[in-house]
Amino acid sequence: MSKACLVDLTKCIACRACQVACKEWNGLEAEHTEFFGAPGGYQNPPALSSKTFTLIRFVEMTDSDGKLKWAFARVGCMHCQDPACASACPVGALSKTAEGAVVYDDTKCFGCRYCMMACPFDVPTFQWESPIPLIRKCTFCADRQGDDAGTTSVNDQPLSEESLARHRDSNRTPACVKACPTGTLKFGERGQLLAEARERMTAEPGKYIDHIYGEQEVGGTSWMYISDVPFDQLGFPTDLGKRSYPSYTSPVMKAIPAVVTGLGLLLSGVYWVANRKAKAGTSAQEDNNQA
Amino acid sequence: MNHEPVKAKFVTPASITLALLMILGGIVAVIRYWQGLGAVTNLSDSYPWGLWISVDIMCGVALAAGAFTVAAAVYIFGGEKYHMFVRPAVLTGLLGYVFVGVALLVDLGLPWRIWHPIIMWPEHSVMFEVAWCVMLYMSVLALEFAPAVFERFGWDRIHGLWRRLVPAFSVIVVAFFTYIMSHSVAWAVVVLVVFAVVAAVVPSLFASRPGVPIILVMVGIVLSTMHQSSLGSLFLLMPGKLHALWWTPMLPINFFLSAVAVGFAMVIFEAMLSARFFGRSLEQGPLAGLGRLLCGALWICLAVRIIDVLLRGELGGAFVSGKGFVFLVDVLVGLGLPALILSSARARESMTSLFTAATLAIVGVVFNRLSVALLGMTIPGKVGYFPSIGEFIITIAMVSAVVLLFTLAAKIFPVFTREEQDGFGLPAAAPRAAGNR
Ligand code: SF4
Ligand code: SF4
Repeated sequence: MSKACLVDLTKCIACRACQVACKEWNGLEAEHTEFFGAPGGYQNPPALSSKTFTLIRFVEMTDSDGKLKWAFARVGCMHCQDPACASACPVGALSKTAEGAVVYDDTKCFGCRYCMMACPFDVPTFQWESPIPLIRKCTFCADRQGDDAGTTSVNDQPLSEESLARHRDSNRTPACVKACPTGTLKFGERGQLLAEARERMTAEPGKYIDHIYGEQEVGGTSWMYISDVPFDQLGFPTDLGKRSYPSYTSPVMKAIPAVVTGLGLLLSGVYWVANRKAKAGTSAQEDNNQA
Repeated sequence: MNHEPVKAKFVTPASITLALLMILGGIVAVIRYWQGLGAVTNLSDSYPWGLWISVDIMCGVALAAGAFTVAAAVYIFGGEKYHMFVRPAVLTGLLGYVFVGVALLVDLGLPWRIWHPIIMWPEHSVMFEVAWCVMLYMSVLALEFAPAVFERFGWDRIHGLWRRLVPAFSVIVVAFFTYIMSHSVAWAVVVLVVFAVVAAVVPSLFASRPGVPIILVMVGIVLSTMHQSSLGSLFLLMPGKLHALWWTPMLPINFFLSAVAVGFAMVIFEAMLSARFFGRSLEQGPLAGLGRLLCGALWICLAVRIIDVLLRGELGGAFVSGKGFVFLVDVLVGLGLPALILSSARARESMTSLFTAATLAIVGVVFNRLSVALLGMTIPGKVGYFPSIGEFIITIAMVSAVVLLFTLAAKIFPVFTREEQDGFGLPAAAPRAAGNR
């Protein structure tokens, strides 16, 4: 089963521990920014970039009583089940792993930026200032998914199998999830997390809006959200549809052999007809050839 | 058909200007390699594709379509009277594609990896198909142009070898292409057999005319059809961003049809310009014929676009917002107006209106590609995009390079047909020697 993450936005207090943990784990530089105002949100930095893979968006809004209120949304790669970015890439630099992460191979990429155009959530970013630029985006901490437990001993005492397993699990948890102090972010199996999201929604009727964002969007994503604020007001694209993006182009790609064969036959047919006619006018043609 | 090099001076004020523009582009390119794309472009994470992709590459490919449309008209459909347009169109196509490649080398983040699609085969990627098609088609164009080089240097032995090897090469190319796009041996074999039969049977059935082996032309048409349409398919992945006035499952077909139209327009445009600048005579009949073909192609493009938008119920969008306005300009000015002009036989025979219509059709396709890649996109985030000076300089340098190399090649190689008698219209000012061989 592939791993996923459930984001319960009602719990987010915008401490941005996830944002910081992400920077630390991925060794990302700080950004020079200026204060960024509405309508895109009040967060700083304003948007994802090659130095920011995880961002908490600050949205100021009025609630039903007309009072001002803040809503927060985590922005980052959704790790689509059938990712548009991976289907776009002409060199196969992006791919979905069995564990659920959509990962990038920086030895393959040649920098065409089609993935950036194709991503429905505008996630991949590019190192514009570098002469050897790469695509950057959240990796779902794929580099933490190995069997490394981080340590094998404590106080010179070797760890028991049980604690090793615990360490390993903890190590596999993405850095942002580990850092989250409120339980907004939860890491687990996709199916279980979906069930849990529904439980939370039935346990407190009226608290959540009736939608699990990412359950079906663009064919489903590994990161899923539940919220008390409508998703369009949080700046999530809500008109993407349930159809997976690669399914828009795959029929075209699958048709290639048939089209090539058909064209070959068609052109030969036309040639045959046209030249049968032309034979009658051979003399005219020869005149032309001499001209 | 006999061809000869244009007799004119190599160094002219125009060619010096073009060379200077190229040098300017070279300087910007150096900065771009030294400091990254951010240093010379206004591209950003909101607009990762800008002027270079939409003009240098997408328009570059479309405007080079004359090579396959005219080849199809002459060799497949038997339009012998258009023969004189083939070599100039093939030369334009070849140069056009070479500079699409050069533009890619500037635009790609890591251009020294441009060969990566050769060894990595993600058969689901449209961009991968475009990359391969363009590569293979470039080699087809080079082979189509090769006889001009052989004739120029009198390499008859190589010419003979070329004639014998080209059919096999063509068949292998198209079968190989099918294989890497489908990873299916069965399909590759089917394609191999079909094209091999055509290659073997056609010359023996029809005392094959001198010139280019018909199978090479066919493979060129197949590859062109595939990648001209695939440039449109690239945008199928952006239903959320590209406005519904352009985003349609018909994108590949729209791109193909408009490429066919602009191919004819480019041939007319070029023939008239080279007549003017090389002081050659123009034959009115074939040009008016091309005008008719262009007219038909434009009407088809227009009808398909409008019916498609109508059937999807999106036509209302054409009358609201800036995007609607862009769409109206795209279809009415870019397609409708030149189609209307050319619908009159009188207009097709008048050099001025033919030239005007062809120019309109060219500008129209450029505007269409810009609409799809930039103007029709809704991109979230606050950062807008307008190309930087550096981006304009590179684009201008690319166009200058194509024009300059075209004129040089026309003076070196036998590209234009030998002039025997004065045609219609502009008098031939160039000294007309009896040919050099
Ligand atoms: S959100 Fe975008 S970058 Fe992330 S997997 Fe989906 S398509 Fe790829
Ligand atoms: S920029 Fe790199 S990762 Fe993105 S599509 Fe192009 S080659 Fe693939």
